[in-house]
Amino acid sequence: MSQIDALPSPSSQYGHLNSVLICLSAAMLGASWLLGLVSVAPNRIVAGTSYGLVAAIGWPGALLVSLLFIAMGGLAIKPSRLHSYAQLCIVTLTLLLMPFGLMVAGHWLIDPTLPQARLGIGAAYWVVLFLLLLCLVEVRLRLGLSRLWTTLLLSSVGGAWLLCAALWLENLALVQEFQARDQQFYRAMLQHVVLVGIAVSVSIVVGLVLAMLMRRYQRLQRIAFAWLNFLQTIPSLALFGLLLAPLAWLAANVPVLAQLGVSGIGATPALMALIAYSLLPMVRNTYIALDEVDPETLDAAKAMGMRPYQRFWQVRFPLALPILLEGVRITAVQAIGLTAVAALIGAGGLGTFIFQGLGQAAMDMVLLGALPILVLALIVDASLGALADALRPGGHK
Amino acid sequence: MTGDRNRGESSITVGPRWLWPIGWALLLLIGVLGIPALEPVFRWLEPDARQVIYARADFASLLARHVFVVGVAAVVTISVGVLAGIAVTRQWGRDFLPLAGQLASLGQTFPPVAVLALAVPVLGFGTLPIIVALMLYGLLPIVRNTLAGLQDVDASLKQAAFAMGMTPWQVLTRVELPLATPVILAGIRTSVTINIATAAIGATVGASNLGDPIIAGIVNGNMAYVLQGALLIALLALTVDSLFDALQQQLRTRLSAS
Repeated sequence: MSQIDALPSPSSQYGHLNSVLICLSAAMLGASWLLGLVSVAPNRIVAGTSYGLVAAIGWPGALLVSLLFIAMGGLAIKPSRLHSYAQLCIVTLTLLLMPFGLMVAGHWLIDPTLPQARLGIGAAYWVVLFLLLLCLVEVRLRLGLSRLWTTLLLSSVGGAWLLCAALWLENLALVQEFQARDQQFYRAMLQHVVLVGIAVSVSIVVGLVLAMLMRRYQRLQRIAFAWLNFLQTIPSLALFGLLLAPLAWLAANVPVLAQLGVSGIGATPALMALIAYSLLPMVRNTYIALDEVDPETLDAAKAMGMRPYQRFWQVRFPLALPILLEGVRITAVQAIGLTAVAALIGAGGLGTFIFQGLGQAAMDMVLLGALPILVLALIVDASLGALADALRPGGHK
Repeated sequence: MTGDRNRGESSITVGPRWLWPIGWALLLLIGVLGIPALEPVFRWLEPDARQVIYARADFASLLARHVFVVGVAAVVTISVGVLAGIAVTRQWGRDFLPLAGQLASLGQTFPPVAVLALAVPVLGFGTLPIIVALMLYGLLPIVRNTLAGLQDVDASLKQAAFAMGMTPWQVLTRVELPLATPVILAGIRTSVTINIATAAIGATVGASNLGDPIIAGIVNGNMAYVLQGALLIALLALTVDSLFDALQQQLRTRLSAS
């Protein structure tokens, strides 16, 4: 990742045409005209009928969308800083217009006499959304904007979407799914965050202790890394399964443990597996972070008369902190994904919606679980990444 | 393919590095064939269940389907990912390099389960959506490592190769790719390891593979099924991972020897 960030700034490449944005614009144009924009279903189980661009938002809407994409591609023929800013505006505008397209489509296509009728988001919407985000990344790199700006931009767009969803998009299948089980959703979200939080905090503490012990005892280092690598290799579903069986047996045969809350199904095996998985990235990064501190800096601290614990807490630890946080970031993002799998063994969390939805063939419910997990992972990734950047000696990269 | 070649060459003296994959593969084989014989053990674990050995499909065919799905996805991702990595590092594809790099590192943030879940509404239930989801997800580590490997090749080495009169194609195949292979191989290892795990979760969306006994066991509360599936998946993952480990070591010794 770092070698990609360290590329020569693309802003020096102005002059010849930007084929990336032209390709992306053409792809968005193609996707919006050729794929289904929305689908309408009479209830939550029946598969919906798909509607194209013109049928969903009419000729004026279709023309507006096409014009935006064509303008985006046209501006890329002669790239300049001004054009890049214009493209940034077009991307933002299109992102903000997306919920309005759904509103218009819902108004036209949904029969108001059918209370169960719902609007599904079609393939074109997802593809265009993905391509728009790629455009945003490309424009950001061209302009050399910091990551913070795009994060702010995307969070305000996300806020606008949530507002639209809450106020006007009651036809949307995703919104209906949410309204039918909003309490359940908040509880699952909380469970998810708590499980990830416990797993990550335990692994931070254990990781730090283990990494410090490893620095002292070289033998331990080899054994511990071998074991952690071994654990990481075992697929999550298998590790959950391997913990499930013995814990269920223990809970059934040792009543004391059952009273303590140990059971095969539920949060206990999930947490054990989550912590086991979190340890490897945590320990590895902590070890590397503590090990990579410049020995000359430490010698200088020693020469200044600092005691060993002072050298550790006032010199080595603060210098190691950015790489250590990188480990926390990797661990947290990984744990967010793994906790979704933990729903299979009854640990709760957002994965519950994914697997219930798959079981009932209710795709909107699957989305209700998968989308927040994705957003959560992106938020944690961006914020911990920004924190590590800020803590790096010498400020931003 | 390279595995077979390396294997053939080293079969004269089977070094200790090949003992791990062979050992795990043997255990996997014993597991697949021997689990039905272990009925008394599983009966002791689950005394009340009607059946203690998963019988909806035999383990060999479950294993074969698991390997097939991961294998197809791996072949496609390796060819597409390495080609894409090469394309964006050439002069004519350089425009796409920053975007490809960002995308490949961003992709690590997407949880595999979420990718799998999002693939189902678009592609439907069954084996195909799993293969597509595995391909999409497995592509990113390979692209990332191909980029990293090719970019790490010393620029002066490439210049020297050009100065010797090599064509761009020769520089790519004789200088850049051989030097980048260890890093690319590490990316392939990550990709395949993640895909073995994700394919198992695919059992919840209708693909029949080694994840099946686990899901069936959880649904019916039959821990014996869970244990059987979990053991075999773990052994499969360890076999494949140790195979890559041995390959990497082989490559390292060869690179340092030459």
